[in-house]
Amino acid sequence: MHEFPILQVGPFNIDLSMLIAILVSGIITFVLARLAVRNLSVDNPSKLQNFLEWVIEFVHNLIASAMPLNRVKPFISLGMSLIMFIFISNLLGLPFGIVTEPHHAIPSLGITEEMLHGEEHVALAWWKSPTADISVTAGLAIIVFFIVHILGLRLNRKHYLKHYFQPYPVFFPINLIETVSKPVTLALRLFANIYAGEVLISTILMLGWIGTPFLVAWQGFSIFVGAIQAFLFTMLTMVYISQAAIHDEEHH
Amino acid sequence: MAWQWESTVIAMVAFGILYFLLNKYAFGPLFSIMEQRRQLVLEQMNTAESSRKQAEAQMAEQKAALDQARKEAYSIIEQARTTSTKTADDIVQTAKAEATRLKDDALKDIESEKNKAIAALRTEVGGISVKIASKIIEKQIDEQSQEQLVNQYLKEVGSK
Repeated sequence: MHEFPILQVGPFNIDLSMLIAILVSGIITFVLARLAVRNLSVDNPSKLQNFLEWVIEFVHNLIASAMPLNRVKPFISLGMSLIMFIFISNLLGLPFGIVTEPHHAIPSLGITEEMLHGEEHVALAWWKSPTADISVTAGLAIIVFFIVHILGLRLNRKHYLKHYFQPYPVFFPINLIETVSKPVTLALRLFANIYAGEVLISTILMLGWIGTPFLVAWQGFSIFVGAIQAFLFTMLTMVYISQAAIHDEEHH
Repeated sequence: MAWQWESTVIAMVAFGILYFLLNKYAFGPLFSIMEQRRQLVLEQMNTAESSRKQAEAQMAEQKAALDQARKEAYSIIEQARTTSTKTADDIVQTAKAEATRLKDDALKDIESEKNKAIAALRTEVGGISVKIASKIIEKQIDEQSQEQLVNQYLKEVGSK
């Protein structure tokens, strides 16, 4: 397997490939969104604007289609950011990879003489999906975790706190486990799907030219998986938010 | 693959910045545009509704106006008919009166002419009778004188 270039700055270990990937997908997301809203028009929207409006409707439907647009605006913004960023991140690692093979030790990147002279072949992968990194997906999941619980505490305190002791106080540990498991599964699901996709791509690449049809098929499928995972992450986030923050009278 | 908490922090910060930027520069304007469109659609629907009502009112108004005009036309025709009948009667009456007047005039004329003729005739007859009388008288005078003459003559003769 490839090593990742890890820059050591003082006490911090910064994964350069992750940094590049996050920056690139963030920039692509932002540029795409800016392109879509470049010539905003009320009665004659451009194609990209139409697409982005469709995404808004989609995310709006995910969260609470019955709620007016004004109240759920921040949530929709969050959902839009999530779905666009994750989708673009998922696709980022698919088309190509940048791999360098260091011939001398680069201590700042964690390449030592021992590694170079070891049995294993050393290569640095500079390009990957940011979501193929458990640390990044964990970051996203932690953001979602905080948002959900802060919103729950701020907007719906009584019912939010009560739901830990539903249906009986005995269930508190189980509810706690559920609460913790939500972000963990969120992070792991996304990471595992994308990481597995990239692992399989590198595995197919080892087949050489015979693997081309498999590669084509798998890359196509990976686009699908990337879309599904972005959708799932966003949808689950919205479900958690609406569970915690929006109180339904029929519910509990 | 190992967990690196630095990556997590970077990811969180990066996503936070991305969310902020997207919210401010992309989604905010888009939301306002969508809100504007909602307003526009609402407004247009209201306008359509009001113009439909207006059109209906105008339709009714025009229908009323048309009915009114039709009624007026009927009344005008009726009036014209009565007027024409009256006029015709008037004309006939006038003509009759005129004819009567003319006839009376003619009769009067005839009368006066007749009287005139009678008067003239009378005068003529008078003259003629005078003439006749004078002629007769003349004649009588002549006879008398003749007789006298004759008698005178005879006497003269007798005496001889």
